[in-house]
Amino acid sequence: MKKIRVIFIFVVLLSLQFMNAYGVQRFPKPDFESGYLQPETLQPSARAGLLAIMDVSVLALALALVSWLVLKKRSRTGVFWTSVFSLAYFGFYRQGCVCSIGAIQNVTLALFDKSYVIPLAVLAFFILPLVFTLFFGRTFCAGVCPFGAMQDLVSFRPQKPDPRLNAVLGMMPYIYLGLAVLYAATGSDFIICRYDPFVGIFRFNASFGMLIFSGTLLVSGIFIARPYCRYLCPYGVLLNWASRFSWRHLTITPDKCIQCRLCEESCPYDAIDIPVVDLNPEGRSVTARKLILVSLLVPFFIVLGGWTGSRLHETLAGVNGKVRLAKILLEPERYRDQPEPFEVTAYKSSGKPLTVVYDEAAGVLRRFYTGGWLLGCFIGLVFGMILAGRLLTRYSTDYTPNKGACFSCARCVDYCPVEKNGTKEVKP
Amino acid sequence: MKNNHDTGHRGLFRTVALISAVFAMVMCVLIVVNYIQVKRTDPLNTPVMKALVERLQGNPGDDQLRQQIRELDLLARKAFFTTQWQVRMGGYLLFFSLLIAVICLKYLEMREKPVPEAPQGEKTDFWNDRNINRSWVAYTGIGIVVLALVLGTLTHLELGKRLEPAGLLMGGNNATFNAGNANNAGNADNADSGKRRVAVAVVTEGYPSAQEINANFASFRGPGGDGIALKQNTPTSWDGKGMKNILWKTEVPLPGFNSPIIWNDRVFLTGASETTREVYCFDLNSGKIIWKFPVDKIQGTPAKAPVVNKETGQCAPTMTTDGRRVYAIFANGDLIALDMDGKKVWAKNLGLPANHYGHSSSLVMYHDLLIIQYDQRGAGCVMALSGKTGEVAWKTSRNVRISWASPILVNTGSRMELILVADPLVASYNPADGKELWKMECISGEVGPSVAYADGVVFSVNDYAKLAAVEIGDPPKLLWEDNEYLSDIPSPLATGKYLFLATSYGTVVCYDARKGTKYWVHEYDTPIYASPILANGKVYLLDKKGVMHIVKADQTYAVVGEPQLGEGSVCTPAFASGRIVIRGDKSLFCIGKP
Amino acid sequence: MEETAGDPKLNRREFIVRSIRVTAFLGLGGLAVLVAEKSGSGETVWQLDPSKCIQCGRCATNCVLAHSAVRCTHVYAMCGYCDLCGGYFKPGTKTLNTAAENQLCPTNAIKRKFVEDPFFEYTIDEPLCIGCGKCVKGCGAFGNGSLQLQVRQNICVHCNQCSIARSCPAEAFSRVPAKKPYLLKQITLEGPKSGG
Repeated sequence: MKKIRVIFIFVVLLSLQFMNAYGVQRFPKPDFESGYLQPETLQPSARAGLLAIMDVSVLALALALVSWLVLKKRSRTGVFWTSVFSLAYFGFYRQGCVCSIGAIQNVTLALFDKSYVIPLAVLAFFILPLVFTLFFGRTFCAGVCPFGAMQDLVSFRPQKPDPRLNAVLGMMPYIYLGLAVLYAATGSDFIICRYDPFVGIFRFNASFGMLIFSGTLLVSGIFIARPYCRYLCPYGVLLNWASRFSWRHLTITPDKCIQCRLCEESCPYDAIDIPVVDLNPEGRSVTARKLILVSLLVPFFIVLGGWTGSRLHETLAGVNGKVRLAKILLEPERYRDQPEPFEVTAYKSSGKPLTVVYDEAAGVLRRFYTGGWLLGCFIGLVFGMILAGRLLTRYSTDYTPNKGACFSCARCVDYCPVEKNGTKEVKP
Repeated sequence: MKNNHDTGHRGLFRTVALISAVFAMVMCVLIVVNYIQVKRTDPLNTPVMKALVERLQGNPGDDQLRQQIRELDLLARKAFFTTQWQVRMGGYLLFFSLLIAVICLKYLEMREKPVPEAPQGEKTDFWNDRNINRSWVAYTGIGIVVLALVLGTLTHLELGKRLEPAGLLMGGNNATFNAGNANNAGNADNADSGKRRVAVAVVTEGYPSAQEINANFASFRGPGGDGIALKQNTPTSWDGKGMKNILWKTEVPLPGFNSPIIWNDRVFLTGASETTREVYCFDLNSGKIIWKFPVDKIQGTPAKAPVVNKETGQCAPTMTTDGRRVYAIFANGDLIALDMDGKKVWAKNLGLPANHYGHSSSLVMYHDLLIIQYDQRGAGCVMALSGKTGEVAWKTSRNVRISWASPILVNTGSRMELILVADPLVASYNPADGKELWKMECISGEVGPSVAYADGVVFSVNDYAKLAAVEIGDPPKLLWEDNEYLSDIPSPLATGKYLFLATSYGTVVCYDARKGTKYWVHEYDTPIYASPILANGKVYLLDKKGVMHIVKADQTYAVVGEPQLGEGSVCTPAFASGRIVIRGDKSLFCIGKP
Repeated sequence: MEETAGDPKLNRREFIVRSIRVTAFLGLGGLAVLVAEKSGSGETVWQLDPSKCIQCGRCATNCVLAHSAVRCTHVYAMCGYCDLCGGYFKPGTKTLNTAAENQLCPTNAIKRKFVEDPFFEYTIDEPLCIGCGKCVKGCGAFGNGSLQLQVRQNICVHCNQCSIARSCPAEAFSRVPAKKPYLLKQITLEGPKSGG
């Protein structure tokens, strides 16, 4: 019996050297005589679903707590300790997944892919911070987001960044957001998760490249406070928009500003609008002319951006697996001298007709073409709006937080000597 | 006193912070070095190890060598796991030292919180900063556009243009075949919007996209006619007698051996007697006959029906459709185009074919061209007619004998080919203009089975001839041939890996498609006339008694199911999503879960 | 502050801001309803379909965890308990023993235990397994395919986007309901061995 079995296996071994048959019952299950009991195949289950409810509850509670601390209690210390808790819970305990930033992609995918079912918890992670921001400003950034908390911890020597740097990097979040939505909508990839700099730290586990990236971010974060939040975070774009129209926003002073200038340098994020009283030296009419020019040019920016995006659609689509496969299959001669790419092996064993692959890839490409246009239009529009924003000035005499950029961290509050009813003593 | 104490306190924290920061830095460097080391070496495939193993293979009896290898292997593994442990520990140490540094610094920051102080000197120049910022926003915008354009131009591969014609019967933009639709003229980039407009707004114009074709079953042996149904969740169990998983069963008024075709929720087939010829449209959901159209009063129709073989009948060719019109051909040469509601669009008689068994080549569509293989005695030809008008677009004569096989339309990855088989050759044509692309003499006799195609290889077979695998190209190359099992009615079926051959004497063989070696042979007691169809990784083989042998498309013979129709059948089944439509001897069956 | 109340310009501004806020709020609500309509309360987890897997080895290297969450899983019910196990031994092995040079597994994660003549039980030592799939390939090619790669849900950190899924050449990864988190191939088909 044993001999036969071995011989038979050798025969199979020789004849099927390169075949990959899967799940074929070549050898019947033995009838054991020794009373051997077959072990069970262990299938340990995933984290209980109940905990998702806990996550959402913690999120909602933390948001409410920070909002209260910022707006009512006006306590920087409270915000700080909440952010430490959030870092511990959402960061190190929950290991950074799922986060509100990444949830953008799940929501997008759910909108575009009919077969994708979005878990309610993920939807809550996307919606809740935005709702709170519409009410109370970016309190999510202040004390709930573990990314923010992490960077906030290390911002020891914040410098006011150069206006040139601000201009260049300020565009990045919009581009990142646009790309993330494009890739999620086409079902290609979740790039926010892929290039998530801190999740590796939360897990004590990351690729070398990502660790370098997160290390760089944290080290630069000592001097440029919250670099990810200000120059990359795509969710920050949405929160920025929402915060501009918030119902109640953090105020530096609880009462009347006394122009003491104490808060002027308290903000590590350059998010305090300093008083602008004197008129623009270049003259009102020049500014007005420029503004009219920019507004007239906005449609041009949009079309130019869209066209540029459409020119880039193949490059962008290269990330998509279907396009990648079609590309490889289209150019077999390029891989002639190399071992067969795994994609080709997998394709061959799938038994899918070539035409279907090409068809799907062409379909994806068409979606990227449209997507490239939309992405470009979006960036063109954002560009125009930013430029126009730089031409509009709100003259004011007081120090006020810039509602869009302010993270509601309440540092400035600590510096303000004004109290609700009069002046408070500055503690030594 | 208190102050002194405080200073000492702070000094301590500062020192701790400094030490842990330096420590973290050292850890960082160590980890990087370690990482590079680990990355570089594959502990189990060192050159020393390989050399030793090679020596052992040459000298299997050397126990000392064996021992040496084992020790080395153990060492290598130990070293590997030690470095792994080092990296992990290093990571933890790095993290905790950083944590300590941060805690100390935070503590100091809180303790040393400076008394708020109004900044001295001038305020920052708001307007200057703003102007600089504004210019740089503009520069950034220009930079992004330039960068994107350069990147886009460098990486642009015209992929879209290369993929579109590569897709099967792609609804791609080919002005030649799309006359009358100005929307579609333009470059491939604009094709998308144009196409959609065609598909939605005007369904009598243009032709279906590849997706539409693949989603339907518009011709004999499925999209392209190669026997592959691109369907998921195809039924595997039913019982025609007990009506289990039979959605409906409708008697077909007139007999015929052509197979059903499916477009959206409609099923089409023809039936004929010596005096009457009819086209039927069934509702896929209910099985009701939506309309039937008697084909008569066509100019040139011979007065008497031709004498045909009993097993061929008056309407052996299967219909085809482009979703705009359906097309049917009969043994007497009658050709008719009806719209989807059963109204005549055009009709003509192609002339009574000189065919002693009766004409049986099925129709196939390429874009908006109706392709007809009309190989008759002395005057073989293949022609393409405009689906809209019936005018001849091209006609290529063929120096072949009569053929009963049907044309298939394949995508070779670079172009579309129309492949025909007839004694003595397999020949390929450009479906757009009818130009011959290549031919190969590899067949003889009265050819019944159509060819199969997969991954650049065409398989032709005929009884009393041979089974040949021909790699397409100019010139084509004969890969292998065999004559142990041959078919005279059912067509072969090829996947990339396998070739399945069913014969009219009931034997089914699975070959290696590239090498021609046989994986398995199975003999059934009943003849098989229907062509096998591949769907969802399974081969559907319908025998003459109506038993569907469903076997895995695999190198070992494995039966998935053998459900019975409860009625004999010689027709090839048609597949829709979750459904199979089979024409039995008398009735039309629709199988699927209710 | 008092001036604000009387300043029509600021009032108009406040009105616009308020309308935008309400619009944004409604928009968010609409989005939530639109998306939630087909959302499930059930969580999903990542899993790979062994029938699509080609054992390319990327599972071992592309997981965000340095030691991948994909491990080999043994479906005992499918195992033939072969003496010469295609998943255990390197091809061409002559002596069927547990010597290091004979083992296909690079980490010695498969334990071979004698059951009764001529059967051997193979057990995966999960902490040692790195998910390289070498044994899976061997078992699939020469045996019953009872060794299968699976994402072990107790190890997986449940990334929003699985980084192996992204690089899987066979598109074998998908989100599956957390209630049924494994896609093990259990059914076995017994057919007559072919002639030929």
